[in-house]
Amino acid sequence: MKPIDPRLLQQVRAARWYVALTVGLGVAAAALIVAQALLIAALLAPVVRGDATSGPALAWPFAGLALVIAGRAGIAWAQERYALRAAARTIAELRRAVVEAWALRGPRAAGTTAVEAAEGGPPAGAPASGGGNGASPEAEVATLATRGLDALEPYLVRYVPQLVLTALLTPALVVVVLGLDWVSAVILIVTLPLVPVFMVLVGRLTAGTSERRLATVERLGTQVLDLVAGLPTLRAFGRSFGPGERVRALGDASRRATMGTLRVAFLSSMVLELLTTLSVAIIAVGVGLRLVEGAMELQPAIAVLVLAPEVYLPLRRVGAEFHASVDGVAAASRAFALLPSVRSEDEDVPASAEGLGGRVTSGELVLEGVSVRAVGRGVVAPAGLTARIPLGAGSGRVVALRGPSGSGKSTAVLVALGLLTPDAGRVGLVPAGGALRDLADLSADERDAWWAALTWVPQRPALPPGRLREVVLDGASPGAARSLAEAARLTGLDSVVGALPDGWDTHVGLGGVGLSVGQRQRVALTSALLDDAATKPLVILDEPTAHLDARGEQGVLDTVRAWRDSGRTVLVVAHRASLLGLADQVIDVRSAPEPATGPGSCPEPAPAGRSTTNREA
Amino acid sequence: MTTSTQHLAAGGRSDPLRRVLPLLEVRPVKVAAAIGFGVLALACAIGLAAVAAWLVARAYQMPPVLTLSVAVVAVRAFGIGRGVLRYCERLASHDVALRGMAALRANLYDRLAADDRPVTVRRGELLARIGQDVDDVGDVVVRALVPAGVAVVTSLGSVILLGVLLPAAGVALALCLVLAGIVTPWLAARAAARTEARGAAVRGEVTALSLEVLEESAPLRVSGRFGARLAALDAADARLSAIADDGARTSGLAAALGALAQGLAVLASLTLGIPVAMSGSLSVEALSVVVLTPLAVFEATAGLPAAAVQLLRSREAARRLLELLPASDPMSAARVARVARVARVARVPGAAERAGAPDPSGEEGTSCRTGASGTAQEAGGALLVLDHVAAGWPDAAGWPRTAVEGVSLALRQGSVVALAGPSGAGKTTLLMTAAGLIPPVGGTVSAWSAERQEVGIPGYRSSDVLPTTPSPSATLFVAEDGHLFDTTVLENLRVARGDVTAAEARTALDAVGLGAWLAALPEGLDTVVGTDAAAVSGGERRRLLVARALLSPAQVLLVDEPAEHLDGATADALVRTLAAHARATGRAVLLATHRLTPLAAVDEVVVLGHDAGAAHGVPATVTARGRHEHLRTTDATYAWSTSQER
Repeated sequence: MKPIDPRLLQQVRAARWYVALTVGLGVAAAALIVAQALLIAALLAPVVRGDATSGPALAWPFAGLALVIAGRAGIAWAQERYALRAAARTIAELRRAVVEAWALRGPRAAGTTAVEAAEGGPPAGAPASGGGNGASPEAEVATLATRGLDALEPYLVRYVPQLVLTALLTPALVVVVLGLDWVSAVILIVTLPLVPVFMVLVGRLTAGTSERRLATVERLGTQVLDLVAGLPTLRAFGRSFGPGERVRALGDASRRATMGTLRVAFLSSMVLELLTTLSVAIIAVGVGLRLVEGAMELQPAIAVLVLAPEVYLPLRRVGAEFHASVDGVAAASRAFALLPSVRSEDEDVPASAEGLGGRVTSGELVLEGVSVRAVGRGVVAPAGLTARIPLGAGSGRVVALRGPSGSGKSTAVLVALGLLTPDAGRVGLVPAGGALRDLADLSADERDAWWAALTWVPQRPALPPGRLREVVLDGASPGAARSLAEAARLTGLDSVVGALPDGWDTHVGLGGVGLSVGQRQRVALTSALLDDAATKPLVILDEPTAHLDARGEQGVLDTVRAWRDSGRTVLVVAHRASLLGLADQVIDVRSAPEPATGPGSCPEPAPAGRSTTNREA
Repeated sequence: MTTSTQHLAAGGRSDPLRRVLPLLEVRPVKVAAAIGFGVLALACAIGLAAVAAWLVARAYQMPPVLTLSVAVVAVRAFGIGRGVLRYCERLASHDVALRGMAALRANLYDRLAADDRPVTVRRGELLARIGQDVDDVGDVVVRALVPAGVAVVTSLGSVILLGVLLPAAGVALALCLVLAGIVTPWLAARAAARTEARGAAVRGEVTALSLEVLEESAPLRVSGRFGARLAALDAADARLSAIADDGARTSGLAAALGALAQGLAVLASLTLGIPVAMSGSLSVEALSVVVLTPLAVFEATAGLPAAAVQLLRSREAARRLLELLPASDPMSAARVARVARVARVARVPGAAERAGAPDPSGEEGTSCRTGASGTAQEAGGALLVLDHVAAGWPDAAGWPRTAVEGVSLALRQGSVVALAGPSGAGKTTLLMTAAGLIPPVGGTVSAWSAERQEVGIPGYRSSDVLPTTPSPSATLFVAEDGHLFDTTVLENLRVARGDVTAAEARTALDAVGLGAWLAALPEGLDTVVGTDAAAVSGGERRRLLVARALLSPAQVLLVDEPAEHLDGATADALVRTLAAHARATGRAVLLATHRLTPLAAVDEVVVLGHDAGAAHGVPATVTARGRHEHLRTTDATYAWSTSQER
């Protein structure tokens, strides 16, 4: 493990600046510590020798010592003051970089979470940096961005300064001691390297035992929490009192196991303390004995006595803050592991000459033989999907995507949005009288224009935290507030609001916490209804009636009708008969077994993606 | 030190930490031992500095070497002793802390088990944090109590040492130690508290925004809100930095004062000592000790700012733990122990099986009753009677908000009744009220055992009556989010009844359609289902919970949404299983569902909902009731809703 991740200095401005400041303060601190020792010796030695003269001869060293003390207080202030500031900024800089980089992963990777959630199956594309076992990469990134990076604070504030001091102060003081008394310097030079050597040795010897024991401790802790979490259930069965004894027994077992670990783990710090204190004692005794023999002057002897503990101090503190360093370095390397790999995928395609020319308000969305391999499921879903969906034709149109669970309906929606590039086939826009423009070839501006022309309500709608009214109006035009009541009546949100204690001012947590899934669905639909029909000719709904009872479903049907009546195209993933009955055009989505030959050679499934026209509007 | 610990334990009512400390069952002797080791370790460091100072000054006068031998040995002994004693101190203090945490966990469990309030969202959050909070409270021993004790004792010792040699220097050292040991930690704690208090909201905002950008990046990008969200994150983080920066001013001051104190002590010793030594009334050895000892003493106070911050953090954790416990009058340990003992008596084999039997613990149990004796005669052979019940959750101010009202129904042996209606009509709330988990807003809930004895309904107890569990539950609420424990399938089923046999377990699992699932498990009934039952799908989990309910001795099963997470056919089969179980065993089942198709199997469907045109906020009522087939022909909405379920 490296004590400081070089990427921290290369990529984070706040950290670079901070380490430079710490080095500067470390040099100053070293100088002041030496000056303090020499001045104390200069003041004390004449008195002990009995040749001191009072008056101005003592005044100068006194003034010097006072200045040194003020200087050391100043350094302590600056170190603490700027360390905390730098830590907060470093964390903010890294958090922003991680969050943005992860959110802007390539379109393929970005789609995986949504597909996973929607289809309840494994992701359609492997994430950029596979998490493998344990928590999903998404959860890991979320933990890192919200709490994990906080480990950098103790690392930067406590550990890094001591590390810098160890690197600067220790050699400088050894040189000074060498000038004062070479015998003491030799003792320092011999003992200093022993400290890390012994610590590593002890660490190696104990690592295995500690890890095994820690696993036991963790398991015991989990069992106690499991019992507490299950209390409502136990209480319902009237069995909540029995496990009390068990919690006690588990706690005792946990303590015994932990103490076993600690007995071994504290050995390394004992070695550290023992070596450093014993070395100081040896130096003190050596200096004393040479004084008796007259082999040494008094003044350097006092200076060496004052300096000796200072030589070991930073090293001892580094040892004490070792855990801060482990956590901090681990958090930093996890963050940097995410950054480069995700950045490379977000390459914008340059705008082509035959651009879409501003907003997409007419033409067709075309899917031609679109196939997406669902990694890990051994199927292609959707397989060979072909459809032509007219946009903003003026008369309004409901297009339904139909198919069994897992056939790739939600994936097809992601492909149509341009969030996912199909493994085979094409998806693109055909402007009125123009040629097919692949969504994958759109420039960043064109892609934004395409997204600006549509409203998408995912199966699990994204609700920002805030008061319900703000949540619904988030991203809507300023005039939309006037249509709010009307829209809420249509989707049935008004009855939800009426039943809430604080009505429109109810606080909604991130992801809609506080609302049921069906209620979130209605909030998202209401929000979508407020979008301007003229600029957003396409509405995409993913299973809008899932989680709704019969009455809630009626609200969705009314909403979809309202959209059609306002001349928009509604692309809807539909399961229930009621919604399918509303469709002007039904597209069947099918999956096919994955061919063994490899990517890009999807079989020609029988007439999949057949468009049937139910009813002409 | 013992006195200070006892003082802490006896503690006032206001400080949450003092209220929680008794739950740690900390033994003062153990704390004193830990502090003793710490004091000795630090005394070694200070002694080393003092004796070495004496040695150098004495050695300069070139006495016979033998006269120095005691000092030489002492210096070396201190050099070795410090490391060893510090090791002992750390082991002793961690032992105290771990014992404290274990006791705290157990005591919290006992109190939570005795507490019958329903788990609300806020309490759920607190429960999720309980592990971390217990650790934080326990840390107060290692990181605050012991360092503070060590600092006090060693500081006093050093002041006495210097004071004996040169009283003025002793006073100066005492003043500097107050600066470093009291003023500095106070400032550090104040800075941390201010930063925490002001930063909490912003920190929450940063977390929320980060999570939103991470989890919802695709919808945000498509709807064009991505840039605005990132800008908001930047702004929130900038505010967080500004708050940290503000706190850093105070902590910087604290750090400067800490450094200044040590320097001032040395300077004062020099200023006061040199004139006295030159006048000859202070030996040069003593001067050397007076000047050089303070360099080592301040190690005692170096850790105190961190200790003060830890104290603050532990206090916050203690406050959260107290929030979990009954607010008004936290039960004394003795009372909890009594409740637990009584409960164990009540759980002797046999008592559990004879569901609804009178409480063996005597009069306390039978006093847990509901009123409505008038309905007792009308009820006939009913096990559970709801008489014009209004149900609702208390709002933030503690006033009940009625979600549903005017519900009357009687569950007899073998009867199966379903509550239907749209989401938000109060089905779950009504079930929980029937189970006694929340008190009814209006009307009465009465329960009888099969032997016609009125039994206690939890949730009606006044504070002087023992909590729920002594009476074997006559009613069982099967929550949608019931807990599967981190243990084997069989042990999870035995939560219902301690003596469930493997054969009974297999039968119950077969009944809910998990026979094939069980056969596929690597170790059958002994397979561990894991924390949060991660190895179990939503549908399997649901059915496991129902299987557990089937094995319960409870006479009335109140089942919430048995069909959730299941496909239509499985869901319908599960409802039929429940109905068959009730009829075969003479139990009663009340289930809440929004899926109507399987309700052909139940005796009566009670449809909850709002009348068309009802004003908002008005409680739901019974809009229709009857047999499934009857409702399909007479109620248009019901018929339409059923027809949509294909």
